[in-house]
Amino acid sequence: MTATLDTTTQGTTSIVTRVRDRARQTPTGVAMRSKQLGLWRETSWAQYWDDVQDVAHALMALGVDRGDRVAIQSENRREWLAADLGTVAAGAVTVGLYPTNPAAEVVHVLADSGAVVLVAEDQEQLDKALEVADRTPALRHLVYLEHRGIRGRYTDPRLLHWDDFLALGREHRAAHPDAVDRSLAATAPGDLMTLIYTSGTTGLPKGAMLSVANAEATIASFTGDGGLLDPPAGPKDLTLSYLPLCHVAERIFTTWNNAATGIQVNFAESIDTVPENLREIQPTFFFAVPRIWEKLLATVQVRQASASPLKRNVGNAGLALARRVGETLVRTGGTHTLGSRVQHALAWVLVVRALRDRLGLRRVRWAGCGAAPVATDVLQFFMGLGVPVHEVYGMTENTASATANRPGRIRLGTVGEPHDSVELRIAEGTGEVLTRGPATFLGYWQRPDATAEAVDAEGWLHTGDVGVLEDGRLRITDRMKDILITAGGKNIAPSEIENAVKVSPLIKEAVVIGDRRPYLVALIGIEPDTVSDWAQRHKISFTTYRDLTEKPEVVALVQEQVDKVNATLASVEQIKAFRLLPKLLDHEDGELTATQKVRRSALAERFGPLVEGMYVGAAATRGAAR
Amino acid sequence: MTTTDDRPTTTSPSRSAAPGAKGRRPWGRPALYTGYGQDMALLNTGAKKAALGVLMVLALLLPFVLEDDLLRLLATGAVLAIGAIGLNLVTGYAGQVSLGHAFFLGIGAYTAAVVSGETGDEDLYGFGITFLPVWLLAGGAMAALVGLVVSPLASRLRGLYLAIVTLGLVFLGEHVFREWDAVTGGVGVGRPAADPVLFGVDLSRSTASFSADQQLYLLMTGLLVLFALLGRNIARSAIGRSFAAVRDRDIAAEVTGVDVRKAKRLAFVISGFYAGCAGALLYSISGYLDPSSFGLLVSVQFVAMVLIGGVATISGSIMGAYFIAILPRLTRELPEYLPFLSSSATEFPNVFQVETLLYGLLIVAFLIFEPRGLFGVWVRARNYWKSWPFSY
Repeated sequence: MTATLDTTTQGTTSIVTRVRDRARQTPTGVAMRSKQLGLWRETSWAQYWDDVQDVAHALMALGVDRGDRVAIQSENRREWLAADLGTVAAGAVTVGLYPTNPAAEVVHVLADSGAVVLVAEDQEQLDKALEVADRTPALRHLVYLEHRGIRGRYTDPRLLHWDDFLALGREHRAAHPDAVDRSLAATAPGDLMTLIYTSGTTGLPKGAMLSVANAEATIASFTGDGGLLDPPAGPKDLTLSYLPLCHVAERIFTTWNNAATGIQVNFAESIDTVPENLREIQPTFFFAVPRIWEKLLATVQVRQASASPLKRNVGNAGLALARRVGETLVRTGGTHTLGSRVQHALAWVLVVRALRDRLGLRRVRWAGCGAAPVATDVLQFFMGLGVPVHEVYGMTENTASATANRPGRIRLGTVGEPHDSVELRIAEGTGEVLTRGPATFLGYWQRPDATAEAVDAEGWLHTGDVGVLEDGRLRITDRMKDILITAGGKNIAPSEIENAVKVSPLIKEAVVIGDRRPYLVALIGIEPDTVSDWAQRHKISFTTYRDLTEKPEVVALVQEQVDKVNATLASVEQIKAFRLLPKLLDHEDGELTATQKVRRSALAERFGPLVEGMYVGAAATRGAAR
Repeated sequence: MTTTDDRPTTTSPSRSAAPGAKGRRPWGRPALYTGYGQDMALLNTGAKKAALGVLMVLALLLPFVLEDDLLRLLATGAVLAIGAIGLNLVTGYAGQVSLGHAFFLGIGAYTAAVVSGETGDEDLYGFGITFLPVWLLAGGAMAALVGLVVSPLASRLRGLYLAIVTLGLVFLGEHVFREWDAVTGGVGVGRPAADPVLFGVDLSRSTASFSADQQLYLLMTGLLVLFALLGRNIARSAIGRSFAAVRDRDIAAEVTGVDVRKAKRLAFVISGFYAGCAGALLYSISGYLDPSSFGLLVSVQFVAMVLIGGVATISGSIMGAYFIAILPRLTRELPEYLPFLSSSATEFPNVFQVETLLYGLLIVAFLIFEPRGLFGVWVRARNYWKSWPFSY
């Protein structure tokens, strides 16, 4: 490195400078891998940094100014990261869109953010933007990554292929070689870096403004000393990237973690191939949402049940041991005792080693769970396998850094201890969780009213979650607005009941209803894979999903699980009746958010008659419909 | 042309690095392929490397543990394995049914015998070159040449018709071997086979430090390793893939750019070479060969080796060959346990009849119950443990 280069390394540390420095130190090291034609192709740090600079220059060439918004709608891939960092390098602001966002939501995000450039993955994403182009006047350029179906057919002058876009960048780079350095030098910690749109369970999504300093604060609390992992993640660690990158959690675990620690990011081919990709990559660092952990658990249970007798019996013996290990570890917070070590070794030989290999968790050093509430039984299972899952807590508005369980100090059911830089307290009266610290966001994009509601004058962020502190660890009860008050005046947190019901591998969704009602009822969605497998093994013939939900045997099966949960609850908290949802909930139909969270209001509206039916005649104590 | 390329020589950053032949993969992730070379590698898993190492050490230790007659049996098994690999390449990999393997074996055996035979005998041809590689390659080359001549049949015929035609070769061969006294010595007389002489040492005679059988065992096992390696490399390279394409559907293969006639020709040439070498080696163990030893039964035995061992697998061919080689020895032991069986060929029922019956029964049983042969049994056992703790 020459002295002239070193002068440019001054300025604000950001994810861009982190990637630049890594590219200088280890240009040939593996930054990421993506699978093409059966091979995991590597991208080195030098190539990554090269791409980032080309994108930054290309944006400058297209006339994107500092502070302008650049939207990205794509599955996780290397171009996502290059576009994201290139945008930040040019001083512009990244706006991520979910690939599953329908056109109606795309138009809201594009129009609200006023994005000037959109990077769309393929024809499918491009079509959504073009469909609503007349309502997004600010959008000047649309860059597409894959030309199939577009090249030679679309004539819109605003279109630009990724390769041409990069070529433009290289031209600009040759003419202005120091433009990126100057842009980086001009970056201040308080500069807006990205807009992350909230999932919008209750209303239209709002864009949370995160600054360079917010990201650095989160990086510090996740990867610094006393962070999530000891020894910390490094260039030898591997992770799998498969959750939407426009969500704050995956952005942290993929893009920022990669830039900060040099962890090798591997992109899953799609959400459907995650099990296979997990097995191939065997990540050392794995973050998943509760749904994925539940699914992994369900896979084990279903496959285990259909294994040959010898395998089933040995497997059951091994898993019984693992369960006892799990119980011990839950008691000790994740530290082995002598007895649990012996049991673990035995279970390891019988089943755990092979099972973890099959699941792709063989080499996991740190596993995390967050973004939604999870049942403790699920986490306890994985703890028994020797994969302690650390629940973390945060939200977009505090850059996902509030609390985390620490290795060896895990307490199931809590979301752990606050990060060092985070102040956390429980509001008196309401019980709302409040946080304050360098990771608190700048505010909502063009919504000062909403910002004022979220952050008070003293800088406390109102999270909207109700929780309690237990010896320094936070336990989240529920979302404030989801708390039910029954007609009897009793406050009830539905998510705890829902999660208990969802522990069963047969149940995918559970929504407890009962606000201002005499008793609690539930809408339950069955998991099509496991239930159809169960039906086949019990020789129950069925045609469609709806048909399956109408089988009395299936209803009885769900009733069993509900009864089991009811037995652990006080009378007012019990689910007195339920109905099975006749369809799979879907993002396109507006029943789920892009992050697969249930929109309660949409559900109550759409399935109103089902709900009302459960309150007609209080004698309907059993859920057997029709 | 005066144009100069003055564009900056940067690599296209929008493409990932082209994977090298080997690629680099993070430690402990056998399913993560970063290069096609890893997928195609001869020993693509750590378990295979370890198993091969153990097998090699065992093979080297055996001659100091086993009796001489068992070593001779294993030496024969190794040679049969070379022949079986040859048949498996043409029948298993390329799908061209050949019942004429005995014919190629005979050509190899006689060519080698002639090359290494004593000079000066008016009634029996001989060139007196006893150096093993020379007569071995001559035997292989001659059989390969005949394979080349025969191969046009395969491009005209397929399936049953090809089987019948190659069967015809065996009868042709039997006749020629019987009548051409100057080469074969004639029926009932025969001639000495090729002498396994390597650098002046006749390996079929005991030396100061090793017995003849120990030497022959080491020689044949070493050659088997060479031929098996060659066979595996043929099978996993473009040639092997074109064989498989022709086997699975010749028209589809042609459409995808495989030269079907070339592939079939190559299959017969390679198979002929293997059979020729096996023939030359086989009789140098016993030192004597008779013109009547290349009948249909020999062809059937080789088919049995392939079917019992495993179609289109090199390791299967080896397993099948050793199995067939050891089978007679096992049936010889039968009279001890089944007193009604006689060990004399003139009485009924005798062990030789049982042996012949067993070939047929084993082929039938394997085809019905385990079409992939002994190799299939192994794969099944492996998969059972691989899928632990689930069933799929």
